[in-house]
Amino acid sequence: MDVRQYADLFLTESREHLTAFNQLLLEWERDPAATTSVGGIFRAVHTIKGMAATMGYAPVADLAHRVENLLDGVRRNERAANAAMLDLLFRAADALERAISESVAGGDPAPGVAALLAELDREAAGGGGTAGPPRSQRPSEPVILPGTGPGKGRGVVVVLKADAVLKGARAVLVLRRAEQLGAVSAVAPAPVAFESDSFDGSFSFRLDAGASDAAVVAALTSVGDVDRVEVVQEVAEKDKAAAGVEALRSRHIRVDLRRLDQLMNQIGELVVARGRLAAIAARFAEPDLHDVSARIASLAGALQTEIVAARMVPVWQVFDRFPRMVRDLAHQMGKQIAFRVEGKEIELDRAILDEIADPLMHMLRNAVDHGIEPTEERVARGKPAVGQVVLAAVRERSTVAIRLSDDGRGISRDKVLGRARQMGLVEADVAALSDEDLFRIISRAGFSTAEKVTDVSGRGVGIDVVTNAMRSLGGSMDVRSEDGKGTTFTLRLPATLAIVRALMVRVGDELYAMPLTHVAETFRAKPGDAQRIQGKEAVLLRGQLVPLVRLRTLLGAAAPSVPYRSEPVIVLELGDRRTGVVVDALVGQQEIVVKSFDSPRGALPVFSGATILGDGVPALILDAGGLV
Amino acid sequence: MGHRVLVCDDAIFMRTMISDILSGAGYDVVGEAETGVQAIERYKDLRPDLVTMDIVMPDMGGIEAVREIIKVDADAKILMCSAMGQQALVVEAIQAGAKDFVVKPFQPSRVLEAVQRVLG
Repeated sequence: MDVRQYADLFLTESREHLTAFNQLLLEWERDPAATTSVGGIFRAVHTIKGMAATMGYAPVADLAHRVENLLDGVRRNERAANAAMLDLLFRAADALERAISESVAGGDPAPGVAALLAELDREAAGGGGTAGPPRSQRPSEPVILPGTGPGKGRGVVVVLKADAVLKGARAVLVLRRAEQLGAVSAVAPAPVAFESDSFDGSFSFRLDAGASDAAVVAALTSVGDVDRVEVVQEVAEKDKAAAGVEALRSRHIRVDLRRLDQLMNQIGELVVARGRLAAIAARFAEPDLHDVSARIASLAGALQTEIVAARMVPVWQVFDRFPRMVRDLAHQMGKQIAFRVEGKEIELDRAILDEIADPLMHMLRNAVDHGIEPTEERVARGKPAVGQVVLAAVRERSTVAIRLSDDGRGISRDKVLGRARQMGLVEADVAALSDEDLFRIISRAGFSTAEKVTDVSGRGVGIDVVTNAMRSLGGSMDVRSEDGKGTTFTLRLPATLAIVRALMVRVGDELYAMPLTHVAETFRAKPGDAQRIQGKEAVLLRGQLVPLVRLRTLLGAAAPSVPYRSEPVIVLELGDRRTGVVVDALVGQQEIVVKSFDSPRGALPVFSGATILGDGVPALILDAGGLV
Repeated sequence: MGHRVLVCDDAIFMRTMISDILSGAGYDVVGEAETGVQAIERYKDLRPDLVTMDIVMPDMGGIEAVREIIKVDADAKILMCSAMGQQALVVEAIQAGAKDFVVKPFQPSRVLEAVQRVLG
């Protein structure tokens, strides 16, 4: 059998177990006296070992085996972990990850592994002087046999095959079989010795049974891995079952994500075409046409639901790598940080999750590097010595919000303001920055106040990179920061990508698509409803002032020749911020397929992408984040 | 008709491989379980002719699962899947009622031999 076909599966599953390994190590590190994590770590490593051995990846299996040995000793003696041992295990986890990648890629094992192996062995051996009894002496219930005294019946000597594995267990199976024939006694060596590694596979016993010698031999030999049974020299050959029937059954298959992307795009086009077909059908009084159009509509809808569901994955698939990263960073920088992940089970489209992995990592590094203060500074300010960093995912209507909070020093508004003045980003007379202003400034390309460059965060905060990623995903981002108290970044993302429901609006002769993700409501404003407050237009909506943005003005379109009697307003809501967008007309709702969009330099930051409508006409997609 | 088999292992990798080996030899893999608890439930539902049982699984290990299955069906045919160095556990499983065992890394011929032995 060619095992290479299982390499991908091996890789994926090994990584899952490695993640578990790392996570449990972190738990253990938090409470070194508790050994509850050890069982889970043992299982993870054990599974990796078994899979690697099957694949023939000896370096992986060997490494896993040594880790397992160490853990076994710990588990047996209930040793508390110390920092050195945990550190060793963390390094072993890293080495395992490398060994797995290398083995799958067919490369040579990395140098330095031998030293690690030796270290693992030393740690396993040096179990604090109270090494537990070896496995062979573990009290085991010899329940199989009534006794080992001189017994009745024929003498039987059994020799197992030299290459038999777990000879002791095989011997127990032979005895079991013998017991089915009659009474077994005088087993030598005693069954307890079977579990010893030195058991060579030959043993004897007395059997008081009515079966013929030949029958006894046949029965005992049928247990398998038996070389010979000495009563009668006759070995029955087992039948070989005919191999046949190619009936591969499997309930899961793994699919390349690009295939799913393709499928998603095609279904997207189908959904759009369905809209077009429905529109055409509506023009003809042809029942058959209506039937088939309705049928296609429901099929396309079902397909869309399926593909969207198939692409959803829980956020832990990306979040799970962060605890280890934060731990390592904190150690490296000598900071004390408690990191918590919430809402791990919230699901996002796989493509979105992949896209936000790097930005999130970036922001986490910022939080650890710039956000959380060094311990002395925290204590001096009267804050708890251990800094808190929380990464939380929550569902908010049709969006998923990902919030990263720290209780560190907060973004220094003075520094940002000073730097913004230097760069000419704010008027000289601006004295204080709102959260919105703060965010607009720090998300500008190249903006940085970092005084020194560390190898953790690189140069500056790079929030612009994150903002751009959010925009291209049709999401948005904001920040709340309080001096000395901490910072919270919130990313809002559509739960699914590619096909979104959008409100089609018209401005001048052009159609634009406004994804419903952030649309709270629409209403019509009559002339006179709008008020001017501090030079800005706003309307009063149920007692709340909502600022207005005129898309026509923003896009530089000419004013309408005849003033409208009332104007449609789309109320966008991002977190607790609301903005009313004034358009010429609301055209209707429809599904659109989002096309990636390279916004040309100097383009208005109010578009997040483009789409092709059912009749082939392109339309730009408005970005709620850029409008609010 | 091939014999009906329930495959219990917490690793998809192992389940896939065992299923492939068995299916290739004409056996009918009718179910899979990832934990001991699942194994017992599936056993009750499916009443397979043979169960392959991993020893180390989350939730409830393979040995405990063997005990529970034997309580439900004293004639259950269970083949333990173990790794090197698990001798004591395999013996425990046999005492609990497992009929045979195979050792990872699996060689298809060995697995099939053991399966045939257990099915008699």
